[in-house]
Amino acid sequence: MISKERRILSGKGRFIDDLELPNMAHCVFIGSPYAHARIKTIDVSKALKKSGILAVLTGEDLVKRTEPLPMLSDFSGRPGWHWRAPRIYPLAVEKVRFHGEPVAAIIAETPTLALEAADLIEVEYDPLPPVLDAEEAMKKGAPLVYEEWGDNIQLHTLFNFGDVEKVFQEADRILQVSWRENRTSGFPLEPRGCLAMYEPMTETLNTWGSYQCPFRAQHYISHVLRLPQTNVRVVASDIGGGFGNKINIWKYTVVCLAAILIGRPVKWHESTREFILTGPHQRDVRWESEVAIKNDGRILGIKARFIQDLGVEISNRDYAAPSIVAACSCVPNAYRLQGLRVEAYGIVTNKSFYGAYRGFGKDKGAKFMERIMDLMSRECKLDPAELRLKNFIQPHEFPYRQISGLVYDSGNYPVIMQEALRLAEVDTWRKKQKELRQKGQYIGIGMAFVVEPAGIAAPNARFSGLVQARVRITPDGLAEVYSDRTEIGQGAERTNTLVISHILGVKPEDVIIKPVTSDTIGMGPISSRGAVYSVSALARAAKAVKSIIIKYASAFFKDDPGNIRLEDGAIYSVKNPENRLNFKELADRFYFRPGPRGLPQEMQMNHEILLDVSTSWYSPNNAQNPTTTYTTFAASADIAVLEVDIETGVTKILKYVHVHDAGKMISRDTVDGQIYGGIVQGIGEALSEELIYNERGELSTDSYADFVIPTAVDAPDIIIKHFETPSPYTELGTKGMGESPIIGSKAVIISAIEEALSPFHVRVSEAPATRERVRQWIQNGPAR
Amino acid sequence: MEIKVNHHSYQLEVEPQETLLEVLKNKLKINSLHQGCQEGECGACTVLLNGQPVCSCLILSPQADGGEVLTLEGLNRGGELHPLLEAFMENYAIQCGYCTPGMVMTAYYLINHLNNFSEESIRKGIEGNLCRCTGYVQILQAIKAAKKEKDSGRWW
Repeated sequence: MISKERRILSGKGRFIDDLELPNMAHCVFIGSPYAHARIKTIDVSKALKKSGILAVLTGEDLVKRTEPLPMLSDFSGRPGWHWRAPRIYPLAVEKVRFHGEPVAAIIAETPTLALEAADLIEVEYDPLPPVLDAEEAMKKGAPLVYEEWGDNIQLHTLFNFGDVEKVFQEADRILQVSWRENRTSGFPLEPRGCLAMYEPMTETLNTWGSYQCPFRAQHYISHVLRLPQTNVRVVASDIGGGFGNKINIWKYTVVCLAAILIGRPVKWHESTREFILTGPHQRDVRWESEVAIKNDGRILGIKARFIQDLGVEISNRDYAAPSIVAACSCVPNAYRLQGLRVEAYGIVTNKSFYGAYRGFGKDKGAKFMERIMDLMSRECKLDPAELRLKNFIQPHEFPYRQISGLVYDSGNYPVIMQEALRLAEVDTWRKKQKELRQKGQYIGIGMAFVVEPAGIAAPNARFSGLVQARVRITPDGLAEVYSDRTEIGQGAERTNTLVISHILGVKPEDVIIKPVTSDTIGMGPISSRGAVYSVSALARAAKAVKSIIIKYASAFFKDDPGNIRLEDGAIYSVKNPENRLNFKELADRFYFRPGPRGLPQEMQMNHEILLDVSTSWYSPNNAQNPTTTYTTFAASADIAVLEVDIETGVTKILKYVHVHDAGKMISRDTVDGQIYGGIVQGIGEALSEELIYNERGELSTDSYADFVIPTAVDAPDIIIKHFETPSPYTELGTKGMGESPIIGSKAVIISAIEEALSPFHVRVSEAPATRERVRQWIQNGPAR
Repeated sequence: MEIKVNHHSYQLEVEPQETLLEVLKNKLKINSLHQGCQEGECGACTVLLNGQPVCSCLILSPQADGGEVLTLEGLNRGGELHPLLEAFMENYAIQCGYCTPGMVMTAYYLINHLNNFSEESIRKGIEGNLCRCTGYVQILQAIKAAKKEKDSGRWW
């Protein structure tokens, strides 16, 4: 098959922007100018009179015709959990709760006509005071996002792991640590969009578009539109970046409804501003904690209060509620910890909804722990690397049951850390650092270590461990592959191709990766799940096909099965190389001459008469250890050296090293691509990206001009080194690895800035470290 | 308007408020081009207009009247990928592929015109083309590899 890369370089991409159907209409959403307001009236009559306007939908139409958005995570009834879910629709009903919340959808002959009609829609609002900060929202008398709740707490629970009280009694001292990450998200260059068409003949709603998870999208759309699942078919087009931001499809359901109502294909392709304004938001967490430590640098336990500012909600537009569990259960990171208690709050405010973004929740725990490690190193006057080495889980302890219940599969953390120190030439930089400080130049050496849990299978959420894979040899001898793993830029197509080509011994160009549709069961690429679930299932399917081929070839060649090889597109016997079939000949015999004298009797009796296997894979880690919500645990060390200009607050990265162990790699170049990209995204998060709401609750950073993502000038050179400790649980020893780079890079930049500013006794307790904040920290002098 | 796109001349009826991006994408069906931020910040819709890289979303059709446009499609020769595009493929410089058609046009301009071909100047040269996936490392490698191809005479 022509690879995706070649297709795009030949100008044959099939992104949402490229999709067209005859007689296609366009959908445009109209958003609220207020962060919080009651809707008194909406009058669409003038807009409907305009030529070229086909329909206008409002919240009232959705109440009549659709179900409210389903609860995608449900913690109700779970002991010790306070949990609420709102009753909401994709178009606001009675009230708007965030700036930009859609109040109407206009369907028109062209996008331009729809935008012109926007001015003709008359909405009368009764503005309410917005609540824009989680801690403000927790106070009595704060404006209520959902009046019926009586407060703004969507989620509240206590995580209690190990024996916290005991370890706090054993502590030599207690360290106070505060850490706050501000609001940000992925916002890939292609915003969201879809094309929907209803086929009356088969009563099927077909939709194509930027769907990261088609199987789950089918379930969601059919629920909202009250259609049987069999009458909804979702197909992923080329996807211009995902990072979790295209799992949510609440707005897509309106486009699908419009296509049914007007009986024509309808397309929606949002603008970047609309994406940032109404897209999934992330991070926005704060930790207040006490840490129990020994004077020799051992960490014993942590008591923390964790607040996640959800914005308008966390369970119905997207699947993000389990992120709070991930955040808290990932605090122990790479270390032996004996006690952890976290009181966790998810608080609603008048901002866009909380959704998935690379890191999801596991990032938050790990970054918090790395802050603790740095502060402990200052407190105990121990080298930060030595401190980490002292607290690491040791290689002989795997599989390691972490106190939070996660079971770490394999790894060798000390080796990764030592190699990073060596490659970064830390000792040399320390000398240079001293010299430069004499000259008034401030460089800092930061470090971070990250364990990346991958492949979530969580209870209480639609995140099961289900996956399906199908491999089929076509009648003309090609290997067709059906998987749930959409290509979102992470290299799904390339790595799936390599796995199949390797197992079946066929050329990569003879492997056909089919577009991902809702016909294949699976959660899609979430939580770095591809190399855990999808690849394991595909490997099992390919191995099953291979075993059928070997049985057949052995009977056909009258040779021992142990002598049969699959290589370079051929099936042959090592003993008698003249016994040889290529895949085309094999397929021809299988499909068209299987008759009574075709296949061997044993295969006929076993019904093994198809070169077409659909199979699944369930995580052995989950099966054996029900407390672990993740299966594989990659690990990485980041070391960064940077200079802070104390006059301007500008940061310049001088050296960046990333040492990584993601088990067996399928394609080193693909892994490297994930690392480079993740690191630069994390640098953006650490230094410049921030979703800022003004006092009226308007998002003031809704374009790339204000929401500043790194350019090629901001990105550093990156040195990468790999280790490969296989996972004992996956089919090929692979581990998920899409997230540790973004986690480690944000942590390491913060670590290095704090180190650079140590002469000013600055404690960095907030990200991003924008140049304004850095200057302010220096001016404010010693931390409390 | 009269416009030459990828070596072919066209006469088109256009509205003055239509952008070059809309003309190329909607009227001439130039598939590689994509709507990005529509504000000139991301560079996804970069084309060469009279030899200069521009964000086609910022150019109104009258400004392009009588001009000559080159897009990714105009680089390839029949079924053969341009050496620059081949370098992008071989160096894994594509992840999601959304920024790619714009990025390669800026790269093509730089390789043809940049006198000082240092890492720093390439980075500066592609500053206007955002990529959210790659961290730019493999893109830089691809551009350097393509420059070598040009220096060895394999170029058009």
